[in-house]
Amino acid sequence: MTRYAMVMDTRRCIGCDSCTIACKIWNDLPLEIVFNPVITNGPEGTYPHLHMTHLPLICMHCEEAPCVHVCPTGASKKDEDGIIWVDPQSCIGCGACVVACPYDARHKDRESGVVMKCDFCKDRVRGGQEPHCVWTCHQRARVFGDLDDPKSEVSLLVNSLRSEQLFAELETEPQVYYLFGMGGQG
Amino acid sequence: MKRLENLSDPAIEVRKSMCYFCHTNCGVLAYVKDGEVLAIKGDPGHPVNKGGLCCRGNIALKHLDHPDRINKPLKRKGERGANQWQEISWPEALDEIAERLAAIKEKYGAEAVATAGGTLRTDDWARRRFMNLFGSPNGFHNALLCWIPTFMIEAAISGWSPFVSDMANSRIAVIWGANPGASTLPSMRGITDLQKKGLKVIVIDPRFTETAAHADLWLPIRPGADLALALAWINVIITEKLYDKDFVQDWCIGFEQLAEHVREYTPEWAGPLTWLEPGLIRESARLYATNTPGNIQWGTALDQQGRPSGAGIQARAILRAICGNIDCPGGDLMPGPSYEYVVDEELEANDWLSEEQKAKQIGSDSFRLCAWPGYQLISDIAKERWGKAPTAEWMCEANAPAVFRAILTGEPYPIKALIVSATNPVNSYGNSQEVLAALKKVEFLVTCEYWMTSAALYSDYVLPIAGALERPIIHNSYGCSSSLIASERAIEPLHQRGTDYWFWQGLGLRLGQDEDLWPWDNEEEAYFYIVYPLGFEVEDYDEFVETVGSYFPEPEYYRYKEEGFFTRSGKVELYSSVLEELGYPPLPTYTGPVENEIDHPEIARDYPLVLSAGGGFMPFHHSEEFNIRELRYIRHDPFMEINPKTAAELGIRDGDWCWIETRRGRCRQRANLTNGVHEKVIITQRGWWYPERDASGPDPFGVLESNTNVLTATDADQCDPISGTWANRGLLCRVYKDEEGGKR
Repeated sequence: MTRYAMVMDTRRCIGCDSCTIACKIWNDLPLEIVFNPVITNGPEGTYPHLHMTHLPLICMHCEEAPCVHVCPTGASKKDEDGIIWVDPQSCIGCGACVVACPYDARHKDRESGVVMKCDFCKDRVRGGQEPHCVWTCHQRARVFGDLDDPKSEVSLLVNSLRSEQLFAELETEPQVYYLFGMGGQG
Repeated sequence: MKRLENLSDPAIEVRKSMCYFCHTNCGVLAYVKDGEVLAIKGDPGHPVNKGGLCCRGNIALKHLDHPDRINKPLKRKGERGANQWQEISWPEALDEIAERLAAIKEKYGAEAVATAGGTLRTDDWARRRFMNLFGSPNGFHNALLCWIPTFMIEAAISGWSPFVSDMANSRIAVIWGANPGASTLPSMRGITDLQKKGLKVIVIDPRFTETAAHADLWLPIRPGADLALALAWINVIITEKLYDKDFVQDWCIGFEQLAEHVREYTPEWAGPLTWLEPGLIRESARLYATNTPGNIQWGTALDQQGRPSGAGIQARAILRAICGNIDCPGGDLMPGPSYEYVVDEELEANDWLSEEQKAKQIGSDSFRLCAWPGYQLISDIAKERWGKAPTAEWMCEANAPAVFRAILTGEPYPIKALIVSATNPVNSYGNSQEVLAALKKVEFLVTCEYWMTSAALYSDYVLPIAGALERPIIHNSYGCSSSLIASERAIEPLHQRGTDYWFWQGLGLRLGQDEDLWPWDNEEEAYFYIVYPLGFEVEDYDEFVETVGSYFPEPEYYRYKEEGFFTRSGKVELYSSVLEELGYPPLPTYTGPVENEIDHPEIARDYPLVLSAGGGFMPFHHSEEFNIRELRYIRHDPFMEINPKTAAELGIRDGDWCWIETRRGRCRQRANLTNGVHEKVIITQRGWWYPERDASGPDPFGVLESNTNVLTATDADQCDPISGTWANRGLLCRVYKDEEGGKR
């Protein structure tokens, strides 16, 4: 089996937004839709004793995905490899999934009326390539792979370091894992 | 946009292109079918980026097809600046431009024709070749803001600039006035990887940058005070005997004079000038000096300080030398010119320019190092010792502010024609109001551009220029490195776009320059001539790119042990004979920032804050890509950084539109409240203009409204006497809320 996951190494991220733009351009997203914003925290502290981190966000491809459960038409799908995507043919644009998602990862396109979201570049990754946001990252702050392969880099990172999930307490089992720490340790 | 999934079609050819949106020149794979680029992606096999691409790299196809691109040569109709054009052919345009240039040369002399360049987008050996054959010494770039003073001062001291950091073998890297975390991402990745293996990083920057956030030690220096810090580091290293005694004894001259000279430059002296605690200055100097081998990475900040720039660069170069960090494993390596391929200087035809014309180079009497007097000295020494010389283009130019003033005043003599290529001088040169006035006034203006800009607007002719995917590229650090990276044309130029080489060659031939002097019909032929001596078994340039692509010779350490340093003395000249011969202090002597509260209390009363104007920030490069709406969507407005305490005192809230004002003028940017800057420091963004706005009126495309260069200082006495560079950093300013607020 394949179970796709992503690791965000915030110790390496510098907030350059390359992933944001690569995704927008290559998935040809409407101008106002961003699948993977990068949030900058800081500089925090008292000058000159400061720190600053960046938090890349994306659809978490939750194992217990509320967005899939609430979809009235079955347009929101979760495939066996864990990828969650929207079938635009069946989406009626009711927006239930947009509200259900705790990560603000779903966006209704004003023009077509359907909901759009990150699909981990499923056509690419199933062909053996990496998602655009991973490929483009100079810092290699994003790692993508198969959690069911114990030798994959994502498996090693998720299992060997203290990785965290955002809003883990909601028990949606997000499949995007975060590494935190000070810059320069990555 | 085509989807990458369709790229398995065997009819698709993968071309090895490079990105041209900054100097890093990341490798790009272009998927081409029937003359159309279907997709691009970062080249995983490229030695620079290893597959990564930043925001700018990713928008290559948006740039290629952008509706704002100029696609045919334009000839002005009606008044200058009226934005009314007639489309003509390249041959017609070149015929008419050549005719005008010939007439101006006839009446005023060849020196009345000047050219303004920008950042690397072009084959500037071809520009130089044209100008030398034409007879004018008055080419220039923003070169002085970017590495050229550094290169020339370091060449004066040690025979070449030691600009290649051997960081993989280094214990400490000092990132001085640079922010690779926003400017050169592959370099940031290298630093991050090496930190994991134990590399220590010191960042010297007034701003808590992306790079500073990853450093072991951040020195938040007062903008423009780098010279004081460098002198104090030298003082600590000599006083505490932390220098490399063997290297200093065997390979440096002038150490005793230096030790005497810096005696007064203690950390306690530097504290109030740099706003750094003396203890921190001492500790950081020890960190650098005791963790050998180490690097001091070049950053533009020292090149951009005006008056104290040259001495600061010299002091930084001395630091490397006395710590023995030159040309050793882990140190700063001196590549020298390539002996293995044809370097830019050999393509420039510098011998064709007469001594009489060289002497007319504007500004070269005042600012002598990066102009013919200094270049000639360094080039003669280099040719005698290395057998080759640094590139004259960039290293030996007319002084840009002096040329703009010559247009306006006719002094020292009239400049009647200006050819602008790969720059919008109103955004990128200092004192924008003066530059815009000069562009409006110059009798004949030609611009080679991608877009309609405020400079192109006032032109008599605008030539449409091909972008990165439409041309091959060779990058070899301005012709001053022994390595090179090369790319091929993904597609032929679209529409009627042409290249700068085509422009200069076409113009040269029309002006009667000998065909034998322009023997290459296109870039590929010229580039094959460049790489041919490398000796690879290839039939043409494209085959070189596809099978070789880049050339990095094995680093040579301690070359000086056999041959000496390539200075006149054969040693590193801490006491510089070249600077002394040019009439400059042979040792770095303190001078304050161009405007500062200690020397100029009367200015500080009205302008109490300290400005650093315009470091690089993602996703833009200089004034480029402001037309790309995907990038503007994530960075829609200009932002200046201000400390929250200062902002509160001024009644400024986060996001407010504010005026930033110096004695030269004011521009408006929004407030980004951040404790990443000192309470007295303001950092503005550079490059801003509004291509979506109207071209009419006194401020076409809003080019003055948010442009940080309306604040910068270019008066002759504010420039560095050695190099002539002007001041973007360390100026006095005031900030106040724009009560009208909002978008214009």
